[in-house]
This record gives sequence, structure tokens and C-alpha cells, in this order.
Amino acid sequence: MRRPYKASAFFNVLINLYYELNGVKALKISQKLTRKLITLGLIILLSVIFTVTAPGFMKLRNIQEIFRVAAYTGIICVGVSFVLIGGGIDLSSGGIICFTGIVACRLACMNVPMPVVVLVALVMGAACGFLNGWVITRFHLNDFITTLATGFVFTGFGLVALLKDSKGAIVSQAIKNKGFLLLGKHVSGFYYIAIAWVILVIISWFILTRTRYGLHVYAMGSNAKSSEMSGINVNRMKISTFTICGACCAVGAVFTVAYQQTAYLSLGSAMGFNAVAACVVGGVMLGGGRGDTAGAFLGAIFMTLVNNGMYKYGLDTSWQYVFQGAVILIAIIADAAFGVLTARKFRNQADAAENSENALEGGKTE
Amino acid sequence: MSEELILRTENVCKSFNGIQVLKNVNLEIKKGEIHALMGENGAGKSTIIKIITGVYTKDDGEIYVDGKHVNINSRQDAAAAGISVIYQELSLVPDLTVTENIFLGHEIMKKGLPDRKEMRRQVQALIDKYGFIIQPDAVVASMGMAQRQMTEILKALSTEAKLLIMDEPTTSLSASETEQLFVTMEGLRAHGTSILYISHRLEEIYRVTDRLTIMRNGEVVGVVDSKTVEPDTVTTLMIGHELEKTGARVPNINENHYIEVKDLSLGNLLHDINFKAYSGEILGIGGLVGSGRTELVSCIYGAIKTYKGSITLDGKPVSKNVATNIRNGFGMVPEDRRTQGLFPQLSILRNITISSYDRLAFGGAIVNGKAESEHAEKAIADYDVRPALKKLPVQNLSGGNQQKVVLGRWLSRDVDVLILDEPTVGVDVGVKAELYGYMRKLADKGAIIIMVSSDLAELTDVSDRVLVLHNGTIFQEFRDHSATQQAVLLASSGVAAKEGDVL
Repeated sequence: MRRPYKASAFFNVLINLYYELNGVKALKISQKLTRKLITLGLIILLSVIFTVTAPGFMKLRNIQEIFRVAAYTGIICVGVSFVLIGGGIDLSSGGIICFTGIVACRLACMNVPMPVVVLVALVMGAACGFLNGWVITRFHLNDFITTLATGFVFTGFGLVALLKDSKGAIVSQAIKNKGFLLLGKHVSGFYYIAIAWVILVIISWFILTRTRYGLHVYAMGSNAKSSEMSGINVNRMKISTFTICGACCAVGAVFTVAYQQTAYLSLGSAMGFNAVAACVVGGVMLGGGRGDTAGAFLGAIFMTLVNNGMYKYGLDTSWQYVFQGAVILIAIIADAAFGVLTARKFRNQADAAENSENALEGGKTE
Repeated sequence: MSEELILRTENVCKSFNGIQVLKNVNLEIKKGEIHALMGENGAGKSTIIKIITGVYTKDDGEIYVDGKHVNINSRQDAAAAGISVIYQELSLVPDLTVTENIFLGHEIMKKGLPDRKEMRRQVQALIDKYGFIIQPDAVVASMGMAQRQMTEILKALSTEAKLLIMDEPTTSLSASETEQLFVTMEGLRAHGTSILYISHRLEEIYRVTDRLTIMRNGEVVGVVDSKTVEPDTVTTLMIGHELEKTGARVPNINENHYIEVKDLSLGNLLHDINFKAYSGEILGIGGLVGSGRTELVSCIYGAIKTYKGSITLDGKPVSKNVATNIRNGFGMVPEDRRTQGLFPQLSILRNITISSYDRLAFGGAIVNGKAESEHAEKAIADYDVRPALKKLPVQNLSGGNQQKVVLGRWLSRDVDVLILDEPTVGVDVGVKAELYGYMRKLADKGAIIIMVSSDLAELTDVSDRVLVLHNGTIFQEFRDHSATQQAVLLASSGVAAKEGDVL
């Protein structure tokens, strides 16, 4: 039984919201889709505003740029979504990006073939993630503070790995490895990183929603104790989500280094928090059990769009921060309001169904 | 004076989405009485309470407190009128003391600082007045459930509550703690405080309440004197027809298919446990909370791995890995469905199918959407889950229906060994009977069923054989339905009764 929505879905959402706000029984439309269409609506709204008010926003070059930048955040978001849906949080992604990106850059400068560089980065990223998960489960630590700490450690390793001259000053290396630089290029306007992003989102969406592994991630995020009692190895699952997250960070790092043609000190800085924020904006619930990578995809686009628009307006960097923060706040307030609305809707559905059945049994319908 | 009413509702009505859930409800609670409210899930009990306490707003009707007409539109209004709810999930801060908890949010201040001495004095005065067994300086985390409830009650009394509403307060209490609570309640009554008491347990209604209001389908169907009313009258009023008497079942025991527990010990909790549970029977395990019941069944299921001794199924050792055991046909309905059994945000469907993806996924990995839907739909229909909306997050269901979902998770995959820990806590009478029916059917199909329960009627009625644990050892075994409620109760407290002894 498929849900009957197509082009009119977006309007259904608006009607639904109107109905819900007015306490009328809402149309039948999935809550997951509604949530995504809200983010999509915000994206469209912002795009329209920027098109009208910011010169140069709707240029093809700019759109390509938005997708390239969004892909960087977005790939990290794919990994972070696994952790968040599983009920955890990972703030170390910035550190993993820094570490793997700098190592990839060093290897590329030594003319190591591109596939080997990518493989090494992936393994390193996964290992960092594995370490996160292992430390947290082995010592029963809190995810938040543990990954904050390991994030520093990874960033530190990255700095250690940077090339330095005899006096200890950092030498900026330009990558000349043709094979590796290919990763930063595009085909007919589509950057490889954006293509990789879309592929990752599709694969991860499939894994999360259509495989047993994915369902177990949701189950763990919803209730870890129940998961254990249902035969799910919670520790192993948790480690696996962190490992996936680490590997995704490495993917994002490699593409970005290839595009920048070098790696630098601040690679990946602030990404730990940005990725989590983008996921939440896209409807992935902190605390676990709700959301998916398609939502995180939209969240990443939204966040990039905000930055890009600010830039196009020529806003001062300090004000860009203020606006970025404000927009994230608005988005999560909308998310919370949506949560309340859907909860009420479900509650009403359950009450109505239960009571109507009782009424029928009692032989009285009114 | 004592005949005056503390609370009177007059023709209170409430509808959700055009469906009337309360029809002209008239509830009268006298000053200084313990008034019970009973009814099946969906009868309107919780709705009327939520209206009295300001969570919902009524559509029609009037509410009078202490003879005066009041408008209750929020929890604050209810509190101002002197109505206080003792929550099932306690709302205390575990790291603070009794005094600190009681005055949390309305501390007595002196020169800008909290006046600890004065607050402590007031709490001590309340404790003395009502004769509670509790220390004002005790940290909540170090206290038992009964004492926490007393703190909760003190907190309500400190705000001068005239009517306390207690919703199933005994679910998390052991027998002796329950008795403590009842004594506390009687003390409150003696001081003129009224209590509205909601419970599914008839024996508690008899034990402690004065009058009983019974609701069905959103209406009050009877107000009776709870000291003299016949149990059959109550159940008839509640469900509208006589409950089917659950007579003794003759179990079809297969002695070649069994679980054997040999010399099992677990730290200080269990000592030298030996027994067999056979295919075809329902083995009941009784005892007080803390006697090691839950730990024992958790060992069998593989959720506790650190035990000494052996557990075997037909002579072969049972794994210490839950996943392996589930694959081999084990299932467990845990003690607290909310924290151990359910996935609250996930749909009814996923809650049913979560342990069955070995069958509902291609190669055990990729979900077979059609099979999973059919599996869940069949379970929803077979076990009568209401509402039958498979995509609804399970947190929106009533307790009874949530329990059907957890039970359905295992029954729908034809479990061979089913362990149930307190299977009917917070479940109304009608649903209870249904659940027992499913359990019996499963036993008849040759499954091994082990049921832990604190509900004496359930233990003696539903089980074919009862083991009673006391301080981590098997104190007594009752074969062939010989267990009586009194005998089990005595054995739980370590007193041997003669078999079949009726007190």
C-alpha cells in the first residue's frame, strides 16, 4: 500500500499544517515526508529570497559552488547521521578530517597513486571512528565529552603530520599529483565530490531504512536497553556507527584536499559542530531513533545556502556568524514545533481509534 | 463535616475529534475519604483525571472544589485549588534530600539565601503529624520506592493539597512497601485529606478504599461501597459482562522437552537454584521484588552472563548470548516494558518485527518490506492491538496495547521458550484475560513458558506450577495448581504453609 502523493505533496503539507494548527483531523501523509518537505520549503524560500535580492546568486557557477561546498558538509553529515540516529553524538569529525586530510596531502605529495592515498585515508578515518566507539563502549563514557577530547587528539596528530622545515615552521605543500588532483575536478559542472555525496546518501539511505543493520541502528537510538533484550549487540552496533562516521570524514577530507590542492592547519575546524547542526536542521533527532540521511542531505544544502547567501550579500564575517546562528536556531525551533504537532496528531489518532472502538463495543456511537 | 464533598464534577463532557470520550461524568469525593476509581483502559479514567488536574480542558460541565465552583484550565489552577497528583514516574531529584525536594521551586528564603533550618523544621513537623517513617535529611537516591512515594506525598501536603490523586502507586512497590503506603494513606485520611486512588488491583481496593466509582465507555456506571461490594459486581460493572472463570487447565506436559537449571548461583542474589521447566506447562515464579526472580530469568535468557552453574535445553547448554538464544526460539517480555521492551519512537510494525529479521530480510540483511508488513499486520490482528495502525509510534498506545505489541513480537515468531516478567503490570482486566489466553495457547502448542509475577491471582490462576523464591533460593514449590494466594504470599516472606492450606 503506497501513499498517494506526487506533485501535490508540498501543498498537502501546507494544508496539513493549517489543519493541525486548527485542530482539524489532518490528511494522510507520512510524517517523515512532511518533515523533509518543510526543510525543502525553507530551501526554496531562501533560494527565492537570494535570487531576488543577492546579485550573482542564481548564476550556474554559484550553484555548482553551493553543491560543492554542501557536498563537503553533506558527506560528513552522512556519517554523523549514523551516530546520531543510533543515539550517540560525534564531535570529533573535524579532528578526523584534519588528520586524514593532512596525511592524504603528504602522501599525494610523495606521488603515491591516488587509489592508495584514498584507501589509506579511509582506513585511517575508520580507525579513528573505531577508536571513538571502542573507548566509549569499553569504559562506558559519555559520547559528547569523549569525542570532544578525541577530536583534539586527532587534530593534534594532523598537525604533527604536517611538513615542517628545519626550524619547525609549517611548509605549505602544493599537490602536483595529477591522479590525486582529479578528485577535486568536475565533469560538465558536476564536481566529483557532489557526485560522491549523492551516491553516499543513496547508499546510506538504503542501509538505514532497508537493511536489518539500519533498523537496528534506529532501535538502538530509540531504546538501547530494549535493543539488548531483543538480541542486538549494542556495543558492536555503536562502534560500527562511529567507524562509518570516521570513514565518511576521510572521504570528505580527501575530496576537499584535492580541490584545495593542499592541506592546511585549520582543515576541518568547526566541522564537528556544523555537521551535527546540519543533521538536526534536516530532522535527525538528537538522542536518536528519528531522521534519515535524506533529511541530513537537505540540512547540509540549507546550511550551505545560508552561508553562500550571506557571502553574496557581502556581509561582514562577524555578522555572517550571527545570521548563521540565528538561522540554525529558527530551523531547530521549527523542528521542535513540528515534533509537538506530530506527537499531538498521533496522540489524537490513537485516542480516536481506541475510543471509537470502545463506543462501538458499548453499542452506542454517540 | 465528613459528609461534605471535597470534589464534585457535574456532567463533565469531553470529545476528541468528534468522538465523545466522557459523557456527563459526575464524580463525588468526600472529605477525608479514600475514593477508588476503576475502569478498563479507554473507559475515561485518565481523561477525567487530566481534566481535574488541568491537563485537558473540559467541553462542558462544572467542577466544584470544597463546594465552590472553580475553573481549572491549567496545572497551576489545579494546584491552587488544592488538587495534587502523585505521579507514577516519580518526579523527585535523586541527588537532593527529602527537604530539598519538598521545597524545590518554592524555597523559604531568608536574606536572599535559603533558610535550611526553617525548611527542615517544617518538613519534620509534617512527618511527625502524619507519622511517616522518613528522615528529612535523607538523600532520595538512597531511599526505597515506598519512601520516595512518601516524599512525593509530603511534597503535595506541603503545598496544602486537599485532594491527592494516586495513579497506580503500587506498581513499583513490593508487598511490604505497599502495606507501608496503605498505612500512610490511612494516616492522611485520619487528618482529613482525601485521596482519589486509581488501581487495577481489586485486593487493594478492598484493603484501603472507602468508596469506589466505576467507569465504562466514558460514563460512570456505578458508585459502590468498596468494603461490602462483591468482586463479581465490580468486574461486571467494569466490563459489562461476567469475566470468564479461569478454571484449572490440564497441561499437556512433554517431559522430553525442558529447560533445566542446575546449581545456579549469582553473587549474593541467587543460591543453588535447581528446577526444570517443561514443554506444555506455564511455570510461575513468585516471590517478593528483590528475591532474585528477575535475575533468575535474565540468566536463562542470556541477558545476565556472570552466573555459576548450568542452564540446559534438552540437555544442551543454553547460550549466554541473547541473539543466539532468540535464534534458537527464546523470547522474553521484560519487567518494565517502557525501559526494556519498547522502542517508543518506532512504529508498532517495527516494534513487532525487530527480533524477526532473520526471517523478514533477504539473506538476513536486506529488509523484505512485504513480508515485514504482512508479519506485523497478522500480529496486530491476531493479538488485537488497538488502534490497528501499524505506522503509529508505539509510545501512543495504552499500556495494555503496548504489552500486546511486546508479546506479539515473540508470539508472532512462534517462540519455543517464552519468559515473561510481570506480564500484566498496568494492564486492565479485559486485556489481561486476552494475554492469558495467548499464553495458554502457546503452552498447548508445546512451548516452555516461565512467568514471573507479583500478582498473586495471576500466579495462582494462570500457572500450572509455582516456584516461590525467597532471598535468592527456591523456598517452596506448588505442583498441580495447588498454590493458593495466601500460601504463596506466606512462602514469599519465608513462612512455609501446608500445601493447599486455605487461611
